Amino acid sequence: MSDIASGIPAETLFNAIRENNFTDVVAVPDTHVRTLITLLTETKDIRFIQTATEDEAVTLAAGLIIGGRKPLIQIQHAGLYACVNHLRGIGIDGQFPLVFMIGLLGRDPSKAPRDNFGSMVKYAEPLLKALEIPWYLLDTPTDMPLFDEACQKAEAQNSPVAILIGEATV
Amino acid sequence: MTHSKTKMTAEAAVKVLARRRTNQVVVSTMTIMAPWGEEAATERDLRCVGFMGGASTIGLGVALAKPEVPVWILDGDGSLAMQLGSLLTIANAQPANFIHIVFNNGVYDTSGAQPTLARDAMSFADMAKSAGYSDTYTFNDIETLDSAFDELMEAEGPILIELMTSPIGKGYVAPSHPETEPTPALALNWPKVRQALL
Repeated sequence: MSDIASGIPAETLFNAIRENNFTDVVAVPDTHVRTLITLLTETKDIRFIQTATEDEAVTLAAGLIIGGRKPLIQIQHAGLYACVNHLRGIGIDGQFPLVFMIGLLGRDPSKAPRDNFGSMVKYAEPLLKALEIPWYLLDTPTDMPLFDEACQKAEAQNSPVAILIGEATV
Repeated sequence: MTHSKTKMTAEAAVKVLARRRTNQVVVSTMTIMAPWGEEAATERDLRCVGFMGGASTIGLGVALAKPEVPVWILDGDGSLAMQLGSLLTIANAQPANFIHIVFNNGVYDTSGAQPTLARDAMSFADMAKSAGYSDTYTFNDIETLDSAFDELMEAEGPILIELMTSPIGKGYVAPSHPETEPTPALALNWPKVRQALL
């Protein structure tokens, strides 16, 4: 992790999503990655599916996998807290290779997420640890190889992984 | 429609559906899983326990991935009440191959038949119609359901069919506690459905 997080260009993340062969992005709107959402809604290469809740994003993604698609779930840290039971029941018990991209809205970029004062940011990593879900923190564009690593891990283990977006995309 | 007036049993309604089962992916949840499993389960069945309200959006994912395959959801009133936002998500996606069947018995059947909230005041069919489902239907007797269902299977989805049924009343049977952790049913089940859809 670098000392200071800086925003990753939306186009960089978009290209990583495409290069990892995601067919769909299932999402609840997130201020943190709004520039990425704009790109996703404008492309025809990847289907953007908006859900009302993060619970639905988890189950819908599972259904897409059953149907042979490869979805990415894009939510915010608050959404992670909101969907814990579906994440447990579908991702962990159901053994689905779910890749979550989670925006850490409001994170102080000069501090590690767990050292932030705000509970929304501070508890994201400890929660993932408690659930035994691997996470990958993307703080700068140089961290992008972790995106590929996360996707490979989900597929290899048939289990959820989380990609944390440390600073708002630009 | 109050539940005290319904005469349709869930088991009878299941038989109506089971007689029409062909190549549909069927996603069932909670109380209705047992009678459906006895009547018509195939390798295209998904059973959902442990994340109430999630059956319909799992089915939505399958429906969007496989638009040529009809998808039926066998949902419960208590389950749907836990994820009412799913009506908006489904309506927004407009899957033409999607039939959402809600067994509305007015109680949480598995946990002791406690009443569901607002059971005599609201209608899931009205909610779905308002959300933007293509059409919705409510049935409270088996004969009308039986005579209408063939036509409904040809309707362009998403449609919601609300069945006013009596509770099954068998309650919940807790699983035993084996020495080793068994693989959860869904984890065993979904790869088979995926394979069947290839």
